[in-house]
Parts: sequence; C-alpha cells; structure tokens
Amino acid sequence: MTPNVERTGNGGTWADAYRNKWKWDKVTWGSHAVDCYPGGCPWRVYVRDGKIVREEQSATFSPIESGVPDMNPMGCQKGCSWSHLHYSQDRVTRPLKRAGERGEGKWQEVSWDEAFTDIADAILDGIEDQGPESIISLMTPEPGAAPARLFTIALGIPTTDGNAEFQDFSPGFYLTWGKFNPVSSMDDWFLAELTLIWHANPVYTNIHWYHFVAESRYNGGEVVTIAPDFSPSAVHADYHVPVRIGTDAALALSMCKVIIDAGLYNKRFVQEQTDLPLLVRKDTGRFLRGSEVSEGDRDDQFFWADSRTKIVTPAPRGILALGDVDVALEGTYTVMLKDGTQVECEPVFQILRRRLEGYTPEKAGGICEVHPDTIRMLSRKVATRRTKIFCGWNAGKYYHGDLMERSMALLLGLTGNWGKKGTGTRSWAISAMDGGSFMANKGRAGQDAAREWAANLTKARRFLSGDDPTLTLEMLTYRAAQMAVEQGISPGGLLPRMIPPAFLWYYQYGYKERWNKKEWQDPSMKRSFDEYLNEAVEKGWWSSGLPSAYQEVEPRVLFESGGNMLRRQRGGQKLLLENLWPKLKMIVSVDYRINTTGLYADYILPAAQHYEKMFYGMPSVHHLNFVLMDKAVPPPDDARPDWEIGIGLLQKIEERAAARGMAEFTDRNGNTRRLQGLVDQFTLNGAIQDEETRLDEEIRDNAAYGILPEGTTLETMRQKGHVRWTGWGLVGHGLAQASTIKPDEVHNPFRWHTEDKIPYPTLTRRAQFYIDHEWFLEAGEELPVHKENPGHGGPKRKFKMTSGHNRWSIHSMNLTNNIIQNTHRGEPFMFMNNRDAEKKGIENGEWVRVVSDVGSFQITAKISPSVRPGQIIVYNGFEPYMHREWFSQSDAEPGVVKWLGLAGGYGHLQFRPFHWQPIPADRAVHVDVERVDTAKAGRAAGRERKGRRR
Amino acid sequence: MSNAMPMTSKRQLAWVFDLNKCIGCQTCSVACKVLWTQDEGTEPMWWMTVNTQPGRGTPRDWETMGGGYQNGTPSLGKLPTPEEFGGGWDYNYDEVLRGGKGREVHLQKIAGSKSWGMNWDEDEGAGEFPNAYFFYLPRLCNHCTQPGCLEACPNDALFKTDDGLVLRNEDLCKGAQRCAQACPYKKIYFNRMRNVSQQCIGCFPRIEQGVAPACVRQCPGRAAWIGFLDEAGGPVSQMVNRWKVALPLHPEFGTHPNVYYVPPLSPAPLNEDGAINESAPRIPPSYLESLFGPAVHGALDTIKVELDKKRRGAESELMDILIMYRWREALGHLDRDPAEIVWS
Repeated sequence: MTPNVERTGNGGTWADAYRNKWKWDKVTWGSHAVDCYPGGCPWRVYVRDGKIVREEQSATFSPIESGVPDMNPMGCQKGCSWSHLHYSQDRVTRPLKRAGERGEGKWQEVSWDEAFTDIADAILDGIEDQGPESIISLMTPEPGAAPARLFTIALGIPTTDGNAEFQDFSPGFYLTWGKFNPVSSMDDWFLAELTLIWHANPVYTNIHWYHFVAESRYNGGEVVTIAPDFSPSAVHADYHVPVRIGTDAALALSMCKVIIDAGLYNKRFVQEQTDLPLLVRKDTGRFLRGSEVSEGDRDDQFFWADSRTKIVTPAPRGILALGDVDVALEGTYTVMLKDGTQVECEPVFQILRRRLEGYTPEKAGGICEVHPDTIRMLSRKVATRRTKIFCGWNAGKYYHGDLMERSMALLLGLTGNWGKKGTGTRSWAISAMDGGSFMANKGRAGQDAAREWAANLTKARRFLSGDDPTLTLEMLTYRAAQMAVEQGISPGGLLPRMIPPAFLWYYQYGYKERWNKKEWQDPSMKRSFDEYLNEAVEKGWWSSGLPSAYQEVEPRVLFESGGNMLRRQRGGQKLLLENLWPKLKMIVSVDYRINTTGLYADYILPAAQHYEKMFYGMPSVHHLNFVLMDKAVPPPDDARPDWEIGIGLLQKIEERAAARGMAEFTDRNGNTRRLQGLVDQFTLNGAIQDEETRLDEEIRDNAAYGILPEGTTLETMRQKGHVRWTGWGLVGHGLAQASTIKPDEVHNPFRWHTEDKIPYPTLTRRAQFYIDHEWFLEAGEELPVHKENPGHGGPKRKFKMTSGHNRWSIHSMNLTNNIIQNTHRGEPFMFMNNRDAEKKGIENGEWVRVVSDVGSFQITAKISPSVRPGQIIVYNGFEPYMHREWFSQSDAEPGVVKWLGLAGGYGHLQFRPFHWQPIPADRAVHVDVERVDTAKAGRAAGRERKGRRR
Repeated sequence: MSNAMPMTSKRQLAWVFDLNKCIGCQTCSVACKVLWTQDEGTEPMWWMTVNTQPGRGTPRDWETMGGGYQNGTPSLGKLPTPEEFGGGWDYNYDEVLRGGKGREVHLQKIAGSKSWGMNWDEDEGAGEFPNAYFFYLPRLCNHCTQPGCLEACPNDALFKTDDGLVLRNEDLCKGAQRCAQACPYKKIYFNRMRNVSQQCIGCFPRIEQGVAPACVRQCPGRAAWIGFLDEAGGPVSQMVNRWKVALPLHPEFGTHPNVYYVPPLSPAPLNEDGAINESAPRIPPSYLESLFGPAVHGALDTIKVELDKKRRGAESELMDILIMYRWREALGHLDRDPAEIVWS
C-alpha cells in the first residue's frame, strides 16, 4: 500500500503525529470477564510505553456453517472503551479503610496486611459467634471476580444464588422444561423464518450479535417486536405489536387458541415432546399416577391412552418415542385404581382446550390491547414458520412472568418450534468451566489427576442413578447438585456452596413485611404469604435447616466482590441500610472502582482490571468459544488480581485461626471444616504458584476433559486467542443444551430430546405445561393463564415503571466511563411519553421525582412518543451516587416475590444452584411522577431531603 | 488554490452504511474517539457520531446551519458553537468518592455543555404513540468530491488524497474555521488548545497499512462497508452504482459526499382501531426524501422487491450483499488484520 498522504507532498509532522498515535509496542489477546450475554468477545489490547492505549475486536472467528454469516467483529462500544476504565477517576489502586462514617467517603490507605488481618478476624469472629451463615457472600455476575471469594469455598460459607441476586431466571421456562438455559449459538438466529422479539431489547443488549436478526430478515425471515413501547428493537422490525404492560400471557394464549382451533398445531410434536397427552383425574385435577393404579408402582409414573384402542397405558419414562401408540389428545377414559374405585381421566390437551375458550382473539384483544386480526395473523405465521422467540430475562422479572413464559413456551410447543435449527427461545448459558471448577478436587497437579477425577465422577454419577436406570446424565447431574445443597456443601471444587437467598432476605433484610403486604401481592392468593412460607418451611421444601439458619443467625460480615449490592438489590438500599447494615461488623468491597456499595463498605480492596489479570471471557454457549483474557500490563500500585486476593486472604485466615488456637469448626449441617491447609488445597500443594500457572493448568485440564481440543495450553491460546469447544463438560449449562456440538454447524439446543427422544428433566419427563402441584392447583395456575399484574408499589398510582438493561453499560460497570457518558445524557434519565409529560408540565431534561409506596428517587426525564402513555422506562444501571440523594430506581421497587416461587417437593420444583427459587419482581411497579422544584432541588440535596420527603 | 494540493483524486474511497442494520450502539463513534480524540483539546470532539432521526443531532440543528453550494456557488454557513456540539463533560468524582460529604453531593458535570451532547436526543424520535418512529444515522466527514471546506480554507490546508480522502495539513491550518462554516454537514471541530480545526482523517494511517478505518472495521452491526467507488465488483460500487440503494445524505448540499446510506424500512403503522396498516409506511416518505433526496423512493422500492424475492424462496444478489456472509468482504482491499503489523 502506497502511503498516499506522503505522495501529495503533505506528509508533514502532523501526519506523523497521527501515525504514531496508532502505533504500539505490544499487543495481547483480551476479553472481558463480564456476563453480558454473551461476554467473551475476542479483543486485541494494544500497549504503548507500558500503558494500554486501546483495544480492537480481533474479528478472527472462522465461519462455521456454510451459508450462514460469521460472528465477526464481535464486541460493542463498552468493550471498545474498556481501556478507558483502567485509568478512570473512580479507579482504586490501594487498599482503603473507612476513616469516617459508612457512606461518608472518607478513606485511609492501608497495607494489604492490615486489611487482610482485620477482615480475617471479622470472618473468624463471625464463624465462632454465629457460624458460617453469618458471613454473607454475594454471587455477582462478574466471573473474573470469583477467585477473591476462595475463602467461602474453603470454609463452606454460603454464597447467595446469583439468579436471585440479579434475577436472570426464567421461571416459566423452568417449569416447562426443568431447565431454562437452552440457548442456541448466535448464528442460529440467522436461520429463523420468524423472530418474535418479545420481552427483550436486543438493539440495546445484544449489540454484538443483533446483526444475525437483521441478516435473517434479509434472508427472507420476518421480525416482529412485541413490546408495550415502540422499543429501539422495534425500529428494524416488520411489525410492532404494542401489547399492554403485563398482558403477554393473554396474547400468547390467544395465539395458542387460534392455532389449535384451526388445526395448525404440530400433533406429532405435541404427542411426543409434551405432557399434553398425559391423563389427569377429573375428580382431583391431578395426574393419574402409577402409585394410585397398582401396588408398588412409582408416584412419578404417568399414563396416556391410545386413541384407536382406548387402552390406557403407562407413558414410558425412559424415552419420548411413541412407538406404535397413537396417543390420544382428547376423550375421557375410565381407569380402575388399585383400591378398586373407578376414576374418569382426560388428557391435558382437552383441559387446555376448555381453558383457552376464554382467549378468543376478541376477548384476549380486549385484555392485551392487540387487534384480533393481528393475533390471528401472528398465529398463522408462528404455526407455519421456523420461529424463534428472542426473549431476555424481562418476562421473568414480572410478578406473573412465569405465566407469560409458560404461555410463550406453549405457543412454541404447539407448533413444534424447538429442537431444530432456527427455532427456540433464548437464555444465558455458560459451560466449559470444568477445568477451573474441579481443580481443587483433583488433588494434585497434572492431567492424569484430572482424568482420574473425571473417571471417579462418572462412577459416582452411576451410583446416583440407584434404582432408576431411566435417569439421564442431565438428570443425574442435577440430582448431584441438589444433594450438595441438601448437605450444605459445594457442588465441586471452586464452585461455592450456593443458597437461595430468599430466607436470608426474609428474616434478615426486612422483606417479611413487604412480602406480606396484601395490596402488593396477587389478589388471587388464597392465603397470606406467611402461611405459604411457613408451609414450605415445615414441609422441608427448601433444604433442611436452611430457613432456620437464616432465622437464627445474625449476619456479621458482608463480602461483595465485583458486585454492587446497594444498586442492585430490588427493594432498595434503604431497606438494607436500615435492616442489614447495623448488624454487620465488617463490609468488604473487592473491586477496581469505588461503587455505591464500596462507599458504604469498611474496606475496599483494589482488584486488577480486566487487562491486568489472567482469566477468560464468559464461556458462553452463544459463541461456544474459550476466549483468552491475557495480562497486557501489570496492575498499578497495590492493585492485585482476584486470585492473589483470594489466596492472600485465605493465608491470613489460616494464620489468624492458628493464633487464636482455632483448628476447625463444625457447621449446622455437621460438616467439619479445617482451618489449616487451605492454601495448599487451592494451590495443589504449591504447584499453582500464580494466576498464570493456574490458568495453564485449567486450560490443560479442560483439554483432558474433552472440552477443548487435545493439546490446548496457555501457550497455544496465546497464539490463537480463542478456540471452539469440542465438548460440554459437566459444569455449567452444557448438558442442559441437550445437543451435540458440531464443528461445522450452528448450535441449536433440545435436539437430544427432539431427535434422540431423550426425556426432559421434569417430573413428567416431558415438556410440562400442566403443573399439578397443590399450590398451583389452588392458584388456578396448573395450566398457563393470564393474571393481571398486581399493585406492587401502590395499586392506585398512575404510572407503571418498566426497565431493562441499558445500552451504555453492563449494570453499573461502564456508567462512569467518561467516554460512554458522553454518548448519552451523562446523567441518570428515564423515558416518558410526550403527552404524559405535557399533562404534567414536565420538560425534556428536567429532574423529576418517581414515587412509590416504599420510597422515591430523582431522575431526569427524557421525553418521547415511543413510550406508551402511562409507562415510564428506567433502564437500569445508574450508580445511586449519580442520582440526587443517591436513591435510585430500586428504592421505588418493593421487591415482592410471587408465593409460588416457594413451591417445592415436586419433581423439578426443587432448588439447585441457578434454578428454581423465589425471585423478586421489579417490572411494572406502580409509581407516580412528580415535578421537583428545581431551584430548591438545586441546593444541597442532603439538607433538603427531609422536608421534601413524602 | 495552491498548486501542491490536488482538488481531485485518482480514485475515490466511499463508505456505505446500512440504516436497516445500524442499531445506534455508537461503537463506531467510540472506536474513533478512543483512537483519535483523547488528547487535551480534543475531548469534546466526536469525528464519528450516530444520531436518532428525526432529531436535532450534533451539532444541535446542524441541518439548518447552511454551507455547501447553492446553485454551484460555495456558501458559508453558521459556525457551530461549542454549546451546540455539546458534551465535553467532566465530573466531580473526588468530591463524591473521596470528599467525605456523603449524600450531600452527587456525581455532577463540572465541565462541558449544560444543554446538549453528541447523542442528547437519542431514541426520542417523532410521531405519536403507537405510531412513533425513528432510526439511527451514523455520520462522519463525507470526504466530499467537491469539498466546501477545501474551497473555503484561506490557508490551503485542506487537500484530497489520491484515495479521495479530504485531509487537513495541520501544519498549515491557522484556525480560521472557514472550513467549519463551509461544511454543510458540520463535521469540523475546533481545537482550542492548538488553534487548529480537526475532523475525521479517514483513518489514513490505517488505510496506508491496508487496514480499514476503525468505524468500519469495528462496527458490530455489520452495517458498514468501505471501498473504491469505481471497483465494479465490490459491494460499495454494487450498492451505489448498480443497485442504487445506497444514497448520499442531503445531496442538495452540493458537495458530492462519499458516504452513502441504505435508507431505512420501517414497521407497518397501526390504524385508529389498532389494526395493522400494511399499505402505509411508518416513516413519512417526505421525511426520508428530505434527507436522501427523491431517489430514496426508488431505492426503498428496490429493497422491498429484493426482500420479497428472498421471502418467496428466490435468490437475491442484493440481499446477499447486505447479509454480508463473510465479514472481511465488507472491508474490500482494506482487510488486513492490524494485529499482524510489526512496527520497526
């Protein structure tokens, strides 16, 4: 290439200045250990004179399937300015100890030794005084920060389940499939003939792969965005369907009705893959069960009828294949029970048809405010095309999100729209983490040890299958995780002992009163929240001892690593500061920046930034790659990689325990934990010296487990940067995919079920739409129905506050990036409809106050006709300290949970990490919007706060 | 005009942005910012921007500021003020995080514009619910064939390169800012520290090395292409010359810009009763015409015809170009991986 500037005779000093600006003396592979669904974009990090100057997407993914676009250049504006965060003003590079009141922002720099000593003492005090449950360790969505929490793994300290902390759970999909993580690789979206963007805003949240949706449209597919507002993701759709807030179940069920009535449903798929043919007793509304029919038969044996012979037979538990039975979807069948009584039974499908009578397009249209013709048109499209529902975790954050998701799954189930390319829903799923997770289990360094461990694990799994040979590997893996919860232990190696935090919240954070507030809960609840909770506890549905532990044990230490609880907690920081904070003797924030939680901590421990440590990008099923995150520069000043922080604290705990003569302790579950030899356990007796040797060992182990190609090492990773997985492993959500990874094909989940006829991990072993749990029957929710969003926040308030991840940041992480701040308004804002604003006299950019029954916050208004009248949209993530008075969105959210989330003791309704548990609702909170006296509010907010509070 | 400065180029590089793929993520803007404008004096500059249309954009109301050519005659328009460009914000971090004042202070802007930013009216759009509408428009220097800035410069600082880029010899620039008045797209900023104007440099140091400009190479929406206009087989030429679906912005400004746009389709609007109206576009055609000229109607018709072919299961060369099966192909001859460069 000829330097064209020179040739003009104008290549003066100015031109060289620009040329030099782009030069570098070192380039490394980089990524971000952030779960932005998917994180793990491959980047190159450019370094000049020891300083990171910039990063650029490597754009080095190879094409996978012929005729499908590639995944380049994967990466967004946040990743593209991550380098700026390294040097931003909220960065912390030396351990800070609080020198004033909590929240005041007065600090004293201290040595690591002093910080570790204080923290280790507080942890040991807590364990001695109250037990390990008194230490609160929060699971955060930053995987790279997890190694700082090594002590929790070593000491059996519970970690709150991330899926309750950040609510990225899909309860309705879980109820249906016994898992919610099946997700296709992003290139599979190209193959959809119809994409329903529904409860997601990928134009904001999936910047790095939205192109597959746009490209599927150019490939002849259609895109329909179903959202209350004309969302940014409606801009490139063929149709926008402005559904009324919280009524999506009515819309989906109406489509189901149209499809069934028109005979457009996929009968074979319904018969084979779903519970719709299973027989339900007319007298009890419960499935007909083997234990009722013959002595000694299983309680989880279900039945169906042959439509030709009318004979009722057990539905096979070990395989989905129908054989030569033409399974009946309708009809009434009389069955003799073992005690000689006769009962009438009917297939679920027949019940469903009756229930759907209330959802004609006209009736449903009246509920969801979608025109009946639109409902009919959409129904036909879904029934005749490969359809994907592009959802996020928005529906699950609605109070009745379970019903919405069950209805959406029903729509896909009736039309055979999962388990083949270009179909299905979306979720988050990680895998390929066995190497790291099992490192402490294998006992010694080297891959022989890894292989031995894997062989033992396989034997153990076989042992778990006990008397039931029909259990699949997927089911056995879930059972193992459930057993670990029951025993109060880690499910393996570097995985923490995870607990559903609902009981901690209820007993210790102050939620008891909120969850029992009748007007915020669903009016169809037959009993009080407490009655349900007590019943769940008494029946032992939530692991023996767990609820009582959090009733009896008072929190002493809060350890937040890579998270920001005071922004995140639904229910608000006020609740925490009033109820939890006074009980805590030690609050630690491990982070590379000072966030709001850090401001209220006793210690801030400075972590290395993402280009200063060694890890890997979020290993996501979306791209199926292991992506190296190399160390481009050393951490500045006293900052340390999380691994070193984790080991350092562990070392200090050993030292301080020895000093006080504390050799071991026994927890409430009877597990005895030694307080010595902990570091040796995690360093494999010193073989793992630092994060570099640790990562190399992890990569080699992954290769030994068959997850990465044979011969993969840190060195080969440094050459290639990323490598496509060759297998799933056991940790994470690989098995939930139920599909084989192929080198030259897009990934679509569920194919072991649809193609190989392997059963689903649900009670009925099929995609289950009928949940005959006693509470669901009592609630009238045994089948999906539409229920109105309850009045949480204040039923009489005029606006509904919705939310979603923003475009400009992953949670609060990038909102203080000065470059990114300049790409939006640079201060917290919410969207509001122009006519609503006009009525209230609110001007664009003006500070307003959003008020609910539990609290309020101030924010600026951004006015747009894209917003539905009566709606305000607060995209979440703004740091509380960016708001006047430091109150933010979550302070107006009551944080209620739906009582059915506590249901258990039923097939797949049982806790295992990241899955079934109560999660708080934060969508469609009832609020009011008020003008703020700007002159008054312009003065120091703290002084004025009291007077303005309502 | 100085003899040393060619007014015309041997070849002309052109950009194409597909507005049906652009999602307004600002990765192009940020990539440019991180690479070129982080020094003192350049902080408020955004050589690359994406704005929500309809909207006032950046600088605020730039479309009404004048400049360009009127009936072939160069004209000077308004010089945008720093307040109209907006942004340039800095914050009171120390006061909030380390100042010991607690909740009495919150993070606030302590420098920069009080009323505007480069993306201030993001996602506001126009219309009335439920028929609101908007789309995203990425903008950079148009590297015009008849650049008003070049003509207006009293110091002969601006010139066209052989590749068709419009560049500024900053050693000659004396900060007269006539260029910024003349530019009808208002993409020229002023550096108060150095007393020179600055604008997009077309990433010429990258182009010299065979690497595509950051805005193109880093676009995750795969909405951007670059290539020579006369390279007949290339996607840029195909879209601009053969299919005529990529159009210049405000062609009436008369500068013959070399950034082209595939105009936006839009979801069907709803009737009063909420039923979908398949026969009308949501974005008023007159609005699109005001941006891209009357050729926009034919371009949209072509896109719809070709899209319909794919929907009927037939082939469409145009759709295959827009799909961009292999990303590298969007980069034309500038497809070198920068990480492979070893600087001596």
